[in-house]
Amino acid sequence: MTATLSRREWLLSEQPASRRQARLGQGYRTWLALRANPLAMIGLAIVVTLVVVALLANVIAPYDPIIGGDLRTERLLPPSLTHLMGTDEQARDIFSRLVHGSRITLMVVALVAVIATPIGLLVGTTAGYFGGWVDTVLMRVTDIFLAFPRLILALAFVAALGPGIENAIIAIAITSWPPYARLARAETLTIRDTDYINAIRLQGARPVRIIWGHVVPLCLSSVIIRVTLDMAGIILTAAGLGFLGLGAQPPQPEWGAMIAGGRRFIIDQWWVVTMPGLAIFVVSLGFNFLGDGLRDVLDPKARK
Amino acid sequence: MSALLDIRNLHVTFGAGPDAVQAVRGVTLKVAEGESYGIVGESGSGKSTVLRAICGLAPTSEGSILLGGTELTAPRRADFYRRVQMVFQDPYASLHPRHTVDRVLSEPLAIHGFDDRERRVEQALTDVGLGPSFRFRYPHQLSGGQRQRVAVARALILEPRVLLLDEPTSALDASIQAEVLNLLDRLRTERGLTYVMVSHDLAVVAHMCDRLMVMQHGQAVEELTRDALRARAATTDYTRQLLTASHGYTKAAS
Amino acid sequence: MSALLTVEDLRITFPTRQGPSEVVRGVSFTLGRERLGIVGESGSGKSQTGRALLGLTPPPGTATAKRLEFDGIDLRSASPKQWRALRGGRMSMVMQDPKFSLNPVMTIGRQIMEALAFHGRSGRAEKKARAMAMLEAVQIRDPERVFRAYPHELSGGMGQRAMIAMMLVTEPDLLIADEPTSALDVTVQIEVLRILDALVTDRGMGLIFISHDLRLVASFCDRVLVMYAGRVVEELKASELDRAQHPYTQGLMNCLPKIDNDTRPLPTMTRDASWAL
Repeated sequence: MTATLSRREWLLSEQPASRRQARLGQGYRTWLALRANPLAMIGLAIVVTLVVVALLANVIAPYDPIIGGDLRTERLLPPSLTHLMGTDEQARDIFSRLVHGSRITLMVVALVAVIATPIGLLVGTTAGYFGGWVDTVLMRVTDIFLAFPRLILALAFVAALGPGIENAIIAIAITSWPPYARLARAETLTIRDTDYINAIRLQGARPVRIIWGHVVPLCLSSVIIRVTLDMAGIILTAAGLGFLGLGAQPPQPEWGAMIAGGRRFIIDQWWVVTMPGLAIFVVSLGFNFLGDGLRDVLDPKARK
Repeated sequence: MSALLDIRNLHVTFGAGPDAVQAVRGVTLKVAEGESYGIVGESGSGKSTVLRAICGLAPTSEGSILLGGTELTAPRRADFYRRVQMVFQDPYASLHPRHTVDRVLSEPLAIHGFDDRERRVEQALTDVGLGPSFRFRYPHQLSGGQRQRVAVARALILEPRVLLLDEPTSALDASIQAEVLNLLDRLRTERGLTYVMVSHDLAVVAHMCDRLMVMQHGQAVEELTRDALRARAATTDYTRQLLTASHGYTKAAS
Repeated sequence: MSALLTVEDLRITFPTRQGPSEVVRGVSFTLGRERLGIVGESGSGKSQTGRALLGLTPPPGTATAKRLEFDGIDLRSASPKQWRALRGGRMSMVMQDPKFSLNPVMTIGRQIMEALAFHGRSGRAEKKARAMAMLEAVQIRDPERVFRAYPHELSGGMGQRAMIAMMLVTEPDLLIADEPTSALDVTVQIEVLRILDALVTDRGMGLIFISHDLRLVASFCDRVLVMYAGRVVEELKASELDRAQHPYTQGLMNCLPKIDNDTRPLPTMTRDASWAL
C-alpha cells in the first residue's frame, strides 16, 4: 500500500516517473524560486492585472470610452467618486478610457513579442550555428536594422504604410528583433562546441533538429528575460508613436494618444495627462520587475 | 589480421597560414575487431584530436581513416553513426541540461528510426546499472558517476561496434572511476565491442587496453603491448618518463 | 613544540531550500611545523575546511568551531584588519588551476609585488628583487620574461610555479595547498611537487595539502587525515598507510588501477551508511 503524496511532494520528487511529472516538476521549482522574490511578485501582479483588466474591460469600465457625456457640464471634471480619474476635454471618463486602452497596450506588447521573438531566435541561432558566410550575411542584415534609432525607423514605416495601431505594431516589431538575434547568436556560439551538441551531431542529427531541439531551449531563457525587460520600451515607443499621432488614431483610447491630447491642459487639469502617464509608468515598472525576477530565476550565471 | 579501424598517416591541422595549429602529425595505427586500444599522452599531445578526427568532429587535413576496409567520407554518412559512437570526458558537459535522461536516450533511436523505443531505453538503463527510476531525471539531479553511465548508455543504444572513449573517468572520483571502468570492461566482454580509449593515466590504460600508443606533440612516440608496459620494456625516453611519473612522488634526493 | 594551528570541532553549514546542510561536521586537528594531508573525494568537505582556515567560507555559508587558533590568535574573532594581515602574510593558499587563480589582466611580476606591498614596507626596487629571487627559487629559468608575462602566456606548470612564488614571497608560516597539482600533466606534477617540497623544508613552514589522491598525499606528507561526508574518518601517519583501519581508507587505497598486479574487476567500495553518521 503506497502512501499518496501531496501534490507538492509529487512535483518536487527527485525520481519522476513520467515525462509529464518531470516537466511539471521543473516548472514548479522555477515558480517557487520566482515566488521568493517580492519585487518579481509585484511585477507579476501588475502584469496579471493588466491582462485581467484588458479581458474584462467591458465589465470594469463604468462609462463608454468613445462617446462622451454632456459637453457643457462634464468636460474636464476633476477626479471624484462619479469619475474616478476625472473627464477629458470631450467629457469622456478617463478611467474607462484607461481600462479600454489597456487592451491596446496588451495587444501591442503581445503581438510585438510574438512577431519579433521568433524572428530574432531564428536569425540568431542560424547565424551562430552555421557560422561562415551565413553568419556574416545574417549579422550584417541585423546590424542594418540595429543601426536605426527605433523611433525613427518606426516613424519611417508608419509614414510609408500609413498611420494606425496595426502598422505601428509592425513597425515596432521590425525594429525590436535585432537585439534578440544578437543575444541568441551569442548564446549559440557558447554552446555550439559543447560536448552535448557534439554528442547529438555524432548521432547523425540534422542541423534543424539540433537548432530547434537543443540550441533554442538554451537560448530561450535569455531571450525571454530580454523581451520582458523590453516590454517597457515597447510600450513607451507605442505611446510615443501615439503621441505623435502615428499610432492609434482618435478616438481610440491609446494611452500615448491620450497624453498627446491632454497636453494643453497639463497645468490646470493635470489629471488628463497624468492618469495615462501613471498607467504607462506602472505597467512598464511591472514588466521591469518581472523581467529582473525572471533573470534571477532563469539565468544560471545570476543564480547564487 | 584485418583491422576494423585503420588510420593511415593522419594529419589534423586547425586554422590556416601562420596561425595554423598542427594538432596531429602523421599518426598511423590499426585496431582489430574486439580489441581494446589505448592512446596515452599529456595535454597538447593530440590524443583527443585523433578520436575527434575518427568521428568527423575534427577535419582530416591529410591521410585517411578506414572503417571495416572502407575509407570514411566527410561528412560521415548515417550508417557510420550506427557503427561508431563516443563517450566524452566531462560528465557535466556531455548531457544537455534541459533534457531528461529519457530524451537523451530516445532521441538517437528516433533519428535512426528504431522501433520498440520504450523497451530499448529501459534496457539501456538497466545495462549500465541504473534503474528505471532514473529515466525522467534531469542531469542536475544526477551525480558525476550516474551521468557518465547515462553517457555510456547513450553511446551504446544505437548498437555500435566501435566505442571511442575520451578520458571517460578522469573527471570522476577514484571509487566511482573503478565502478565505471568495471562497467566498461563488462560491456566490452558481453558485446564483443572494440574500444579506442584515450587517457593521460597510464594505469587506467594499462588496465583497460591490450595495446597502447604513446603520443607527444601530435606525433606517435611508441606503440606497446600491455605486457611490454608491465615489463617496463619502453624504448623511448618519453615513455620511460611517463612510467616513472605514474609511480607518484618519491621524496628521493634528486 | 607548540602547535601552529589548532582546530577543534569545525562545522561549516550552508543554507539550502531543504534546510541547513552541514558540509563539514566536527573536524578537529592540530598542526605544527609539519606536513598534513587532507584526503577526500568530492563532497567530503576538504576544500571547505581549507577555506575556513583562512576565513574564506563563501557566504551564505557559516563556519563555527570550538577552537580555531593560529599561533595563539583566535581566528574566530579576528577583525577584518587582522585577517588582512594574516592572509598572504602569515597564512597563504595555493589553489588548483592557475588559469582561474591568477589575475588575467595583471603581469606576474606585478601580482607578486602586490603581495609584497600588502605585507611590509619596502621600496619598489627591493620588491622587484625579492620577486625575481622568488621566481628563481621556483626554478623558472627565465625569470625576467615570466616577470613581464601575463598568466595566459604561461603553461600550466609555469603558472602554478608563479602562483607558488606569489604565495611564498611573503614567507608565511603556514601554506594551504588545495589540489595544487591536479590540473597539471603528470610529468609536470612531479616537478612542481619537488619545488614545493624543497621550499617547505627550507623555510620550515607548516603545510596542509588537500587532495583527492591518497597515494600522492601519502608520499608527500607526514600525516594524513581522511575525510568522508564532512567528517574525519581516519587520521594516520603517512608511513602507516598500509595499516589503515577504516574500510573507507582501505577502499580508497585499493580501488585504483595499477600497472602491475592488476585485479579485474577493480575492487569497488560499498559505502556503509554508518560512515556518514
